[in-house]
Amino acid sequence: MTAPELPRRPPAVGVRGLTLLLLLVAGALSYEGLGLTAAGLWPNEGGLAVAREFFGRALTPAWTSEARFVPPGTPPLLLDALGAAGRTVLYAAAAMSLALVIGVVLGFLASSSWWTLGERRGIGRTVTGALWFVARAVIAAMRSIHELLWAVLLLAAMGLSDLAALVAIALPYGGTLAKIFSELIDEAPRDAGEALRGAGAPALSVFTFALVPRAAPDMIAYTFYRFECALRSSAVLGFFGFPTLGLELRQSFRSTNYGEVWTYLYVLIALVIVFDWWSGRLRRRLVTT
Amino acid sequence: MSGAGRDLEIDRLRRARPRDRFVRRSLFAFGALLVGAWLVGGFDLGDAFSEQRLRNVDRFLGEIRPYPLQGEAWDHGVFLEWARGLWVEKGALAVGRTLGIAVLAIVLAALLALPFSLAAARTVATPEPYVPSGRPPTRWNRWAWRGLVGVTRTGLVFLRALPEYVWAYLALAILGPTAWPAVLALALHNTGILGRLYAETVENVPTGVPAALRGLGAGRTQVAAAALGPALLPRLLLFFFYRWETCVREATVLGMLGVVSLGYHIADARVRGRHDEFVFLVLLGAAIVLAGDLVSTWARGLVRRAS
Repeated sequence: MTAPELPRRPPAVGVRGLTLLLLLVAGALSYEGLGLTAAGLWPNEGGLAVAREFFGRALTPAWTSEARFVPPGTPPLLLDALGAAGRTVLYAAAAMSLALVIGVVLGFLASSSWWTLGERRGIGRTVTGALWFVARAVIAAMRSIHELLWAVLLLAAMGLSDLAALVAIALPYGGTLAKIFSELIDEAPRDAGEALRGAGAPALSVFTFALVPRAAPDMIAYTFYRFECALRSSAVLGFFGFPTLGLELRQSFRSTNYGEVWTYLYVLIALVIVFDWWSGRLRRRLVTT
Repeated sequence: MSGAGRDLEIDRLRRARPRDRFVRRSLFAFGALLVGAWLVGGFDLGDAFSEQRLRNVDRFLGEIRPYPLQGEAWDHGVFLEWARGLWVEKGALAVGRTLGIAVLAIVLAALLALPFSLAAARTVATPEPYVPSGRPPTRWNRWAWRGLVGVTRTGLVFLRALPEYVWAYLALAILGPTAWPAVLALALHNTGILGRLYAETVENVPTGVPAALRGLGAGRTQVAAAALGPALLPRLLLFFFYRWETCVREATVLGMLGVVSLGYHIADARVRGRHDEFVFLVLLGAAIVLAGDLVSTWARGLVRRAS
């Protein structure tokens, strides 16, 4: 009789533990490298005055304009803020519709299942392989440039125009949607697809009727999540001169009307929370697992 | 089965398919929003193709040619010299700082998110975590814990509802132009996101091990350290790297506010009208983002495979 085999003693620090330690070291090195000090977290005199004034208004946002001169007939500030919020939603929605078109087309082209379904040989195989590669490269290029960088690029090229704002959001978002869509399609359960394949269905039918429907709930949930991000991006584009919440926010902050700043901040927060709630509830309904 | 019988069966299955009113209405509303935005928005798109704009674009495309090569024949040597100069003079340091901001911010966010996620998890922040105590908790006690969960969750929503850029803009006005505003902005926004993700993960940990420890008399902190921590670590690391990717993207951009990351030099080149440098640095930013994606994908694979 041999002695029962004892479980092996685990290493004192595993791969994950080591990763964790390395991350802490990386954080400390970054702190050193950036030349930061703990004292830098405390504002100087001027900053302190701004902070006091700014945070002093946190609980008393402005209901009417705080500008020195308010022309008669100016609508109340809240209407102003809601108008800006509406424009924020409109820019986000229009950009998102463009991004969805890009995302669906490129996402299908970049999904591996799309190309591996049919049995192609010779020249057909080369062409499809090349298309797949090009789609991936285009997606990477669109995604890797941040929407604000797209915005300044387009602003520099053509000046302030609605198209610049929409395209600036649509390109990186379209790329991200395409990447995630292709992954979702590739990772969707293959059961229905195999059954259709076995029954002799052509590749295109298998793709449209078996693979895509299986991935659709996740794709919809992800689109909603990205729309929430698009709202934030659209608001921030205001800092570059587009008429969304960021523009109002910056103007009010510059004229030190901090009550107004808080009004805009709260409207932005409320906007994001509403869509966060919506997309969260939809996700729970759609993604049951 | 064939013919009419099969059609009937298909029809029956179609009718019996699961349908959800909320989902259908949401999809309809979302579709209407996407289409309606074009109708209501009044976007002036034709204006983008006016003669003057096209001239602008034409000029811009001429100006992104490296400065020493403008009006000259293309020369690889000159181009490389120009690119190397920009990299040595500005690029290298800015890239280092951008990555530093992203790393420090996400490490801070992860550290901050840990306690918040415990306070936001309904399985931990309750009078009787994992096992009933035998003595029913007082109503006051119950409400206090529920209040903690509610306040923490609301706080996390606030943190993530504001974009990094807005956080950084506000922090910059108060703290002045060090790297802190960018670091804090990214850390705060990501604390909100990681806190929520971590809290959901905590709630999904199988109850076996934590309940056993509780039965032996361990408190919340001990359960968190000995049972939840090890069970969570893989997912925490996955989320960590996933968010680090976005931190790299955002850190590049936050510099445009005047903080020392790549964005600062991008905004500076644009103001000076040096569109060649401007585009070079934007592409450099894209390169860091791609590199960050690769590192993150690699690290996530490593974490997933290690068991």
